[in-house]
Amino acid sequence: MSKQVVFYPGALEERDGKLVQMGHKCKDCGKTSYPAVELCPFCSSENVERVPLSTTGTVFSYSITRVPVGPFKPPIIGGYIDLPEGTRVFGQIHAKAEEMKTGMKVKVRTGVIWTEKDGTEVIGYHYVPCETGSGGA
Amino acid sequence: MRDVYVLGIGQTIFGKHDSLTVNDLGAAAALAAVKDAGISPKELKVAYCGTMFSPPTPVQSILFHLGADRIPMYTVENACASGSSAVHLLFQEVALGVRDVGIALGVESLSAFNRKFGKGLLAIEGDLQGKLALTMPSFFAKLCNRLMEKRGATIEDICYPSVKNHKAGMTNPYSQYKTEVTVESIMASPMIADPITVLQCCPQSDGAAAVIICSEEYYKQHNKKAHRPPVRIAGSVISVSGAEDVSYDPLAMQVVIKGAKDACEMAGVDPQKDIDVVELHDAFSGEELAAYEMLGLCEPGEGVAFARSRAVELGGRCPVNPSGGLLSMGHPLGASGVRVVNDIARQLWGEAGVNQVEGARVGLAQMLGGVLTGIESPVVAGIQILMI
Ligand SMILES: [Zn+2]
Repeated sequence: MSKQVVFYPGALEERDGKLVQMGHKCKDCGKTSYPAVELCPFCSSENVERVPLSTTGTVFSYSITRVPVGPFKPPIIGGYIDLPEGTRVFGQIHAKAEEMKTGMKVKVRTGVIWTEKDGTEVIGYHYVPCETGSGGA
Repeated sequence: MRDVYVLGIGQTIFGKHDSLTVNDLGAAAALAAVKDAGISPKELKVAYCGTMFSPPTPVQSILFHLGADRIPMYTVENACASGSSAVHLLFQEVALGVRDVGIALGVESLSAFNRKFGKGLLAIEGDLQGKLALTMPSFFAKLCNRLMEKRGATIEDICYPSVKNHKAGMTNPYSQYKTEVTVESIMASPMIADPITVLQCCPQSDGAAAVIICSEEYYKQHNKKAHRPPVRIAGSVISVSGAEDVSYDPLAMQVVIKGAKDACEMAGVDPQKDIDVVELHDAFSGEELAAYEMLGLCEPGEGVAFARSRAVELGGRCPVNPSGGLLSMGHPLGASGVRVVNDIARQLWGEAGVNQVEGARVGLAQMLGGVLTGIESPVVAGIQILMI
């Protein structure tokens, strides 16, 4: 089996055999932040707990990039996803350009997002539309 | 706080200077500034330099070319607001009475950067969103989409600042581009991130700018250009954002709104009435369209209507980027924050040539830097208000 790394340290964690996005929920101000950092970035509280993020959200805004960026080939749909806990997360959206709409419901998928030249698989997340289900790879 | 004056300005032509180092570029701008100020480089008491990608200690190496040495020197990095930060820190030292005169420089060589790291869209190393392919054009494409959804902007509105600024840049001797563009030619250029095409983006540039700033007393003793009305830096603010949640609206970035409001209060001006000319960070055409209302030049939500009224063109209520802006002038990242201050000084002195805003008495210079997402990587706005 090839070596696997998470694309951003601490962004994902394995729970019950599944990879989930992990943020910090602040027990003082109530806000959930992602990715998790040392203290609550809103109120500087140390009183934070690691929590899985909601797996569905709505598209706040998106754009479609028509040129390659790093390991990604165009078209690249990137968007801000608003989660029910009040957190805004950036992610790629695997969908057809014509089905994209601000406010549409999406759900998260985790898995390999690119493979390094040495075969290392990089693990991350992306979103897919709720309606069509599976979305792209 | 003491009054702070602009004694002299200098810059290189912005564009491709492949054979010049940042030291060569910086020295050319610094030399032009001390000559414009009419003082010896030995007079300088402190130096600041804004840059993003230069080798270590560029300011010492640059000023060595002029024999300016053995004074405190600092290089500051604040993304596209690096130059604004150099100006701000020098402003503070003079205002607080620490020094009487100093130089703020900004310099960048994207040619040198590209030789080292290869060409392509700049993504931020180690940034979660950058790793997922968020780039500056893709961020501003979201802003454009939101301008169309929430403000009723059309493609013509989105392209308007680029058309306006490219036209202005044609007659600026320092600008990188000398080509007029139309909405048609803009939309026919390669698409980067819908609806942003190449001709809605500022170019990659090499260049430097420098400004000599001094106290009132020093100004009275050393100013040799009696024909110039004394130009004062009346307000200077560096504004930084923080963590944001789903309430964040990129059309109402508090970092810009509050930064501009604070700078206007400091200078005692009403942006809708008093500001006669603005030079701002138009890295993307749509960014300028979104900025009018955030800077307070018009009411919130009225930015598109303000643009359609042609208030931001030469002859209008408050011309924006009569230099040609980043879109046509070019954008040597660290230099632009100093360059916008220089261009406002030039306007207030009445030395802007065919791009002169008649009777300009108050001007605002703005830069915005950072990843702009407001989620993981906060952004910084630098704002200076100059007046006569
Ligand atoms: Zn908190």
